[in-house]
Amino acid sequence: MNKQNNGFHWFFGLIVITTGLLFFPLLARVEASGKQQGFFEKLLDRTSSSTLIEGESAIGTRDGNSQKLELIFEPEIEMKLPFRSRLKAIGRARGDFFDRLSPGEASQSTVSKLSRRQMLGNQTDVALREFTFEHRSNKTFVTIGKQQVVWGKADGLKVLDVVNPQDFREFILDDFEDARIPLWTLNIEVPISEIDVQILWIPDQSAHILPEADAAFSFTAPRFVPIAPPGIQVDLRSAERPTRFFSDSDSGLKLSTFWKGWDLTLNYLYHYDDFPILFQKMAISNGIPTVTIMPRYERTHLVGGTFSNAFGDLTIRGEAGFSFDRYFLTENLDDPDGVSKTDELAYVLGFDWYGLSETLISMQLFQTWLTRNPHGFIRDAVDTSITLLLRRTYLNEVLLTEVLWLNNLNDEDGLARPKLSYELSDALKIWTGFDLFYGAQDGLFGQFNQNDRFVFGFEWGI
Amino acid sequence: MNKQTQKTIAIFTLLVSIFLINPPASAEKKLTGDEIARRINARDEGESVSRKLVMEMIDRRGKRRERVTLGFRKYFGDEKRTVIFYQSPKNVKGTGFLTYDYPKADVDDDQWLYLPAMRKVRRISASDRGDAFLGTDFSYEDIKKETKISLEDYQYSNIGEEEVDGHHTIIIEQIPINKEVAKELGYSRVVSSVDSEIWMTRKSEFWDVRGNRLKTIYTREIRKVQGIWTAHRLEVINHKTGHLTNFTFSEVDYSEGIDDDLFTKVMLKRGVR
Repeated sequence: MNKQNNGFHWFFGLIVITTGLLFFPLLARVEASGKQQGFFEKLLDRTSSSTLIEGESAIGTRDGNSQKLELIFEPEIEMKLPFRSRLKAIGRARGDFFDRLSPGEASQSTVSKLSRRQMLGNQTDVALREFTFEHRSNKTFVTIGKQQVVWGKADGLKVLDVVNPQDFREFILDDFEDARIPLWTLNIEVPISEIDVQILWIPDQSAHILPEADAAFSFTAPRFVPIAPPGIQVDLRSAERPTRFFSDSDSGLKLSTFWKGWDLTLNYLYHYDDFPILFQKMAISNGIPTVTIMPRYERTHLVGGTFSNAFGDLTIRGEAGFSFDRYFLTENLDDPDGVSKTDELAYVLGFDWYGLSETLISMQLFQTWLTRNPHGFIRDAVDTSITLLLRRTYLNEVLLTEVLWLNNLNDEDGLARPKLSYELSDALKIWTGFDLFYGAQDGLFGQFNQNDRFVFGFEWGI
Repeated sequence: MNKQTQKTIAIFTLLVSIFLINPPASAEKKLTGDEIARRINARDEGESVSRKLVMEMIDRRGKRRERVTLGFRKYFGDEKRTVIFYQSPKNVKGTGFLTYDYPKADVDDDQWLYLPAMRKVRRISASDRGDAFLGTDFSYEDIKKETKISLEDYQYSNIGEEEVDGHHTIIIEQIPINKEVAKELGYSRVVSSVDSEIWMTRKSEFWDVRGNRLKTIYTREIRKVQGIWTAHRLEVINHKTGHLTNFTFSEVDYSEGIDDDLFTKVMLKRGVR
C-alpha cells in the first residue's frame, strides 16, 4: 500500500469518526427526551433525500449509429447533525447500453483509488459522487470530504475551473457537473472583514480521464497527441503520477469581495496540471527507430482572478489565470523530449445582455497566450475562441430554446449545440438537440467532425 | 317659541351634533393619489421577516406546477435585502435568488442567482424590472415591492371607491412618469383598489405598454401577524395567456432575528440551514 493510500484511509477515517461522534449527542438528546421519539425516527426527521433519474440517447447523424443510450440513477441524502453540522452524500449508478464512449472496462489509472468508480461489467458503474461532512462554527464553514469546488465566471470554458479534473468521455458535451471528478478535499471558508477567504487542501491526486484510442471521443488532434512518422515504432509507457499524500497535495486560496458593485475574486492554486505531459525519447530498439512516450504530471502555480458587474441590461464578467511552467508539444527537432516549457495566460471576457424579455444573449471571448514562443510549438502562441449563447424561454419557462456556438478562430473549427427542452411536469423534463462539430481534423473541435449527433433525453426528479 | 319650533330646533341640534361627532365618509377630505401611495408605503412591514412561500403556477389547460421556497427579507438601514431559497421540486432545489435593493431610485439593484447545476453564483441584470419572475406571472418589480408601491415611477390619482372582497377600498390610478419607465416596468397603467383601513392593496389591474389589459393581482387572506398586517395569499391572473400564479405564505415570522450572513453569496450557494 503506497503513501497516498495510507493517507487517504486516514483522511476517510477522520470523516467517519467525526460524523460518528456527532451521532452521540443526538442519541443523548433522544434519551433525555424520555424516548418519546426513537433514535432512528429522530434521525429520519433530520434527513432529507431525493433522487434524479436521467436518460439520454445520442445517435450519430453521419452514420446513423447509436453513440450512447445512457441511464443514470443519482440518489442524494442529507442529514442535519448536532452542532450546526450536516452530512451529505450523492451516489450515481450509470449504465450505457452501447459502451462506445469508453469501450470495455474503463481505465481509471489516472484517478486515485478512493475516488474511483466501481465497475459492474463494461457497461455499468457506480460511484460515490459526493460525501461531505460540513460544520459551521460562527461564520466559518469547514467542509471535508469528496466534493466539487467550482471557480470562475466563464460558461462552457475553463480558466480557473480547474480545481477538479474532468472526465472527457464525451469531450465537453457532458454537463460539467457530471463530467467533473469530485476530489477528497478540505475546504475552509471564513469571512475576514469584507473578504471571504476560501482555503483548499486537496490530497486527492486524481487527474483528467482521457478517452482511450478506441473511444468515440478519443483525442487525435496533433496539439494533444504526438504523431509518429511512418516507420517509427511508438512505445507508450504508463503515466508517472504523484503519489505522496502530503507533499503532492494541491492547495488553493480564493479571496472574494463585493466592492462598489463589483464581484471580485483573487485565486491561487498550487496544483498538478491534470493533463499528462508526453515526454518523448527517440532510440533504436532492435534495429527499429522507436519513440518512447513517458507521460508525467507536472506542477504549476495558477494565479488569477474574476470580476462581474451589471450595467443596465448588460452584465460583464471575466476571469483570467496565469499558469507558470506549463508544457506543450513541439515539433522542434532540436528539442529532445518533444515538449517545451512556457508560462500561459488565459482569460475569458463575457457579456450577457438581458435587453429582450425572457431572453439571454451571451458572448464570450476566450484567449490563451504562451509567453515564450520557441520555434516549433504545435499550437499557436495566441489561441482565440469566441462563444455565443442565445437562450429564450416561453410559456412561463416551461419551454426553453437555446443555441450555444463555440468557434476557434485559429483553426476555424467549432461546435454548435441547438437544444430544446420542455417541462412536462414539476418532476419530468424532456429535451432534444444536436451537437454539430465542424472544421479540420487537427483542430480542437474539428477532430470530432465525424461525431455529429442527435440527442434526446429526460430527467425525472423524485 | 312654540312647541313645534322647539321640536325643530332640537332635531336640528341633534343632527348637527351627530354630524360633527361622526361625519360620513363622503364628507372626509378626499385623499390625493400621492397621499394614498404614501400611506401604503408607510404601513409597517417589520424590520425583517422569514416565511415559507408556495408558488403555484397553472397554465390555461390546467397543468399545475409548484415550487416551495423559504424567503427572508431584512432592512440594513434604508437598504432592503431579500433572499429566496428553493426547496422543491428536485429540478430547482438549491436555486437561490439574492437582491440588494438600494434606496436611491437611480441606483440599480444588485441581483445574484445561484443555479446548483452550474455551482456558480451568477450576477444578473436588475434593469428589466418588468420581466417575469422565474416563470411566474409576477414581475421582478412586483416581487421586490411585495405589497408596496413605487413612489418614483408613477403619477397617482384618486379615481373613486369600490368594495373588494367585502372591504371598502379607494381606487387609485397609476400612470408611469414617462415611456422609458413604462417600458422598464412593462405597464402603461395600473389601477389599484386600496383598503382604506389597513392601507393595503386588495386588487390591482395592469395594462401593458400597448394599452392591452395584462393581468390582475388579488391580495387575500390578510391578517395580522405579530401586530403587522400580512397578506397570506397573492393571486395573479394573466389575461393575455390565461396563466395563473398563486403565492401562499405561511410560517410568517417578523420576530425572529435573521442573521445578516444569510444575505450573502456564500449562503446563497450553501442554502438555508
